[in-house]
Amino acid sequence: MNRQKEKNTEISRRDFIKVTGTIVLVAGTRWNLSAADEIPPSDGYLLVDIKKCQGCASCMLACSLIHEGVESLSLSRIQVMQNSFESFPNDLTIEQCRQCVDPPCVKECPVDALEPNPKYGNVRMVDREKCIGCGTCYDVCPYTPSRAVLAADKEYKDELKSRKCDLCANAPFHWDEAGGGPDGKQACVEVCPVGAIKFTKEIPEQKGDAGYKVDLRGSNWRKLGYPDK
Amino acid sequence: MNGYAGKILSLDLTERKVGIIPTSKYQHWMGGHGMGSAIFFDLVKDKTIDGFDPANVVTMMTSPLSGTLVPAASGRTEVQGIGVQSYPIGWFTRSNLGGRFSGMLKFAGWDGIVIQGKADKPVWVDIRDGEVRIRDCAPLSLWGKETWDCQKAIWDYVLSGGKYGDWNSPFGKEGGKTTQRPAVVAIGPAGENLSRLACLIHDASNAAGQGGFGAVFGSKNLKAISVTGTGQVGISNPKMLLATRLWQKENYAFDLAHLIETWGSFQFQSPPAPIIFWEKGRPRIGQRPQACLGCHSGCRARYKDATGNEASCFSSVFYWDAKSLDIQRSASDLINRYGLNAVEMCFGLLYIRLLQQSARLKTAQIPDCPLDFSKYGSGEFVEQFVKMIAYGDDGKGNESQFGRDVSGGFVRAAEKWGRREEDLASGILAFPYWGIPIHKEPRAQVYWGYGTLLGDRDINEHAFDWIKWEASGAKSSGREPRISAEEVVKIVTDKMVPFQGDLDMLDFSENNIYSEHMARMVSWHRYYARFWKQSMLFCDSRWPDFVNIHRPDKIGSTGIAEPKYIKAVTGKDFSFLDGINLGCKIWNLDHAIWTLQGRHRDMVHFVDNVYEKIPLFNVEVRNVHMPGKENGKWDYYGYSRRKLDRDKFDEFKTHFYRLQGWDTSSGYPKRSTLESLELGYLADELERNSKIGKED
Repeated sequence: MNRQKEKNTEISRRDFIKVTGTIVLVAGTRWNLSAADEIPPSDGYLLVDIKKCQGCASCMLACSLIHEGVESLSLSRIQVMQNSFESFPNDLTIEQCRQCVDPPCVKECPVDALEPNPKYGNVRMVDREKCIGCGTCYDVCPYTPSRAVLAADKEYKDELKSRKCDLCANAPFHWDEAGGGPDGKQACVEVCPVGAIKFTKEIPEQKGDAGYKVDLRGSNWRKLGYPDK
Repeated sequence: MNGYAGKILSLDLTERKVGIIPTSKYQHWMGGHGMGSAIFFDLVKDKTIDGFDPANVVTMMTSPLSGTLVPAASGRTEVQGIGVQSYPIGWFTRSNLGGRFSGMLKFAGWDGIVIQGKADKPVWVDIRDGEVRIRDCAPLSLWGKETWDCQKAIWDYVLSGGKYGDWNSPFGKEGGKTTQRPAVVAIGPAGENLSRLACLIHDASNAAGQGGFGAVFGSKNLKAISVTGTGQVGISNPKMLLATRLWQKENYAFDLAHLIETWGSFQFQSPPAPIIFWEKGRPRIGQRPQACLGCHSGCRARYKDATGNEASCFSSVFYWDAKSLDIQRSASDLINRYGLNAVEMCFGLLYIRLLQQSARLKTAQIPDCPLDFSKYGSGEFVEQFVKMIAYGDDGKGNESQFGRDVSGGFVRAAEKWGRREEDLASGILAFPYWGIPIHKEPRAQVYWGYGTLLGDRDINEHAFDWIKWEASGAKSSGREPRISAEEVVKIVTDKMVPFQGDLDMLDFSENNIYSEHMARMVSWHRYYARFWKQSMLFCDSRWPDFVNIHRPDKIGSTGIAEPKYIKAVTGKDFSFLDGINLGCKIWNLDHAIWTLQGRHRDMVHFVDNVYEKIPLFNVEVRNVHMPGKENGKWDYYGYSRRKLDRDKFDEFKTHFYRLQGWDTSSGYPKRSTLESLELGYLADELERNSKIGKED
């Protein structure tokens, strides 16, 4: 799953921000992360069953709805991608943030905008006030597509800002008074009509996909005529 | 207002110009069909033109709910214009398709597309957010491609060096990003060759099947429209929208942990099982349900061998005599790839098969049929049949008058062969109204037949159809229905505002099917469908939620749920009755257009067969059971084995026209009625054309 990063010789606006951000980083105070094991693991993770998903993208619509108050597939932190003409199960995949135990996005953010948030069980969260839109988190995410979503933010005069899955911890439009995060409700889990997304507090196997892409089908799924294989 | 993109894309293919129509100009119609009809009325000055005339305008409209979390209302696109399928007049008509096209269009910043004129050579339209290009087909060799290959070629082009499965920027590095493939609507060879059976296909099997819109696209030299949207749809009350969705999921949808049914049905509470009718059922191979954007319960599936992907309903019924399941599944793919109307293909194949079996296929007036019926049931046979219709030849690339004839529709072919009246009368040509194939048995489910005849196409609106399945299934298997006739009538009619409480609207006994009560029922159905289904684009497979057997009281959410969603998305207080009333207004607008096209009361009749004979064959079940009140007792009774009474049906029309406020002698709209609906401008146009009804 290692991401092949494209090398672009052109200096884009994002590259410029990245360079200047790094200069700020050198000049300013850097959060003292020196080793991966100093980053506490998240208290929560999303697991998905790509063989159960029906491709309705309700999870994506719910994600942008409770975070930004709008419907947008491009702002969703969870991405369902499909191809009508392809054979099952290669016709569809779900790619969700893994809340990595060793998160490159946290480690590499030049302005400490991406950190485990102890208030919400150490979920890796973006502080958009700090985010400079440099795209480092987008680039260093080892998975495809990048789990960091980089898009213009209307609240910041359309400046580029990063977003990533926070298990709905910082969701201004959360429907439930108790809110989200590892101890609350996640919109994608709640809205999925077929139960193809599950929340867990147990750390999934980090190597490969098996820990995150699981079997959530159960016997009633078979009753609907869907074989296991 | 939230829920709207604010602008409608105007395409002038003749001039190759792209323009903008402000949505606000038509927003009082709310969306979808209402907007489409109003735009059509404004842009097409002469309503009597043929569907193939370049002056014909096709609209593809979304609703404020498109691209949102409203369940089974997010993914449909309403298509309208003068059709080329119906006979003898190609009515101003509609079709719609599911999938993700409407959502993508909204994310790209458009509430709809208006297509005018005719390109001088084949083109396709490339929409990437606000950037719209009318491109020649030639560089991608799109013209001539079947619908799936066409879509894949466009996907590759739009990707321009990127990789699906990753974030892509349709505008270059600094633009908006998406991981999604473009949503493409395309025609196949059938549309290019102007077959009146041609439809629009999106993804594997989303089809705007009725009306012949594929041929209308073809006549405009328009191969495909592709849309990639990276933007957003504003929502008035996001918390309310999600909370309402979860409320409905919890209280009205299927529960996987406690499945009551394991098969797919046209009900809100249906579990996500494909609605397919392959003779030998679903293949026992790996598969998943597949849903339109935002839907809570998919009604199609994708398979391990990618055969029959997303096929459902009539696209699966087609070729029911296939020798194997795999052949029938491949046949479903064939009609999608070549872009053909599955219903007419079904009943057209039945027609020529019956002609062949009765040795009438070789009569002098019928040109030589190129099909070899000794191979009937094989893959080779169906491939030739599909290609014969799509290309208007012998299905093998050679000239064929027979192929040309049937490619133009089976009723028109029968007319050319001098067989139309005889074969309609005998019932082997099962096209009981407007040259359109049968779907439900019109003698039993009279609202379906009446609605079709009083409208423009096979209504294909299943609101009351579940009652038939429940009742007929129970009777044929000897089990007790899960809900009594009296109970179902009470629950359903309670929701039929403003006619609520009139239980006799659902009395399908002989004594009642021509009554004022049935006129109310048909009226309500027309108004409901025109607004809630075709303008707000609530999907026909899942709405309305009348009877819900998941609930102790069996009362579904329709009437309560829909206004909640409109409020959450748009912020507008809009009741269920407001929608019915707006549906009435849209119905009047459509009827005015049909009147201008030439409709008169005298032509509104079934073919003689429906009045003179019981059905030649069973359309779906052996005997359709519906609620009825016989000797004062409500029960389910079998009503297929009857004929309709011609004179009494005429009386029904009088009831119906009176209820609409139309002239009962001609069926023309009356000025007073149109003005009461704030449609005085329609009355002016009708008067100019001497088509205005007489006041009482």
